[in-house]
Amino acid sequence: MERLCLSDWRGWHGGATRSLPPTQHRLSDFDRPGNSLPGMLRRRLDETGRAVCDILAALDPEARYPLIHASRHGDARHTLAMLEALAAGEPPSPTRFSMSVHNAVLGVHSIAQQHRRPLQALGACGQEFDALLVEATGYLAEGHPSVVIALSEGALPEAYADHVRHPGIPCAVGLRLSRESGSALVATKGSGSGSVDPDPLDVMEWLAGATSVLEGRQRWHLEAP
Amino acid sequence: MNETQQLSLDLKRMIIEALELEDISPDDIEDQAPLFGEGLGLDSIDALELGLALQKRFGIKLDAEAEETRRHFASLAALQSLVEARRVA
Repeated sequence: MERLCLSDWRGWHGGATRSLPPTQHRLSDFDRPGNSLPGMLRRRLDETGRAVCDILAALDPEARYPLIHASRHGDARHTLAMLEALAAGEPPSPTRFSMSVHNAVLGVHSIAQQHRRPLQALGACGQEFDALLVEATGYLAEGHPSVVIALSEGALPEAYADHVRHPGIPCAVGLRLSRESGSALVATKGSGSGSVDPDPLDVMEWLAGATSVLEGRQRWHLEAP
Repeated sequence: MNETQQLSLDLKRMIIEALELEDISPDDIEDQAPLFGEGLGLDSIDALELGLALQKRFGIKLDAEAEETRRHFASLAALQSLVEARRVA
């Protein structure tokens, strides 16, 4: 794999159960995300989507880099509400229907920031972090100087609580990656069976130094710059 | 408040609620100002959402492709005329 370096990162989570990330990497306006969006666009996204847009704007303020956003479940709360309305024989909300696609957050962000570089939305059954790094490597190999990746999970509706692994609170993390600048991400072969799919909080803990290894499909370490 | 004023207020509240307009109060919506583009700044998805809200609340069904629908959605006053003429609920 091509060399990957972490140039900067930002993190956000809802709720008060954890204190990550450290100050310099916390999303500004942590308690009320959405500052990067005008009000008429902000209303279309849930809190997590708004935080993702703020993270992307902080890491790519000049809208210069390819952006990749991954989420295992997306905006599950609104998707479920739409399905429940359909099951009850009610017409679905056109707004909710239009925003139920996986690339909705990137679409809103690109309109707000007039971003015209490549955009990519991913879902990978829990293996989003590794998928993000693979895709980022591709963009860097094509010659883009940096790529910004974001991983998020929205609030999980109660109906799903016993059926999926979820960080428990809405959260999002973004990384700006390049080939030269910052700490190198080094992969060794993963432990295979028993490895846990990293969620955004796991990634934040690792980036903040609370854990030395991130277990995904591969084992990820950060080398000192 | 007379019936006309009450309907005007109801419509403004319906727009704010159905379109999830943050930081906008009924007083911010002017009767004659355009709802779409300039003025309030609504977009095409809002038009569909507004059509659904009219159907649910007042039983009014509009053809999304019809030219007259554009006229009904031109301003709050136009919307109010539509509801007064065609409401079934």
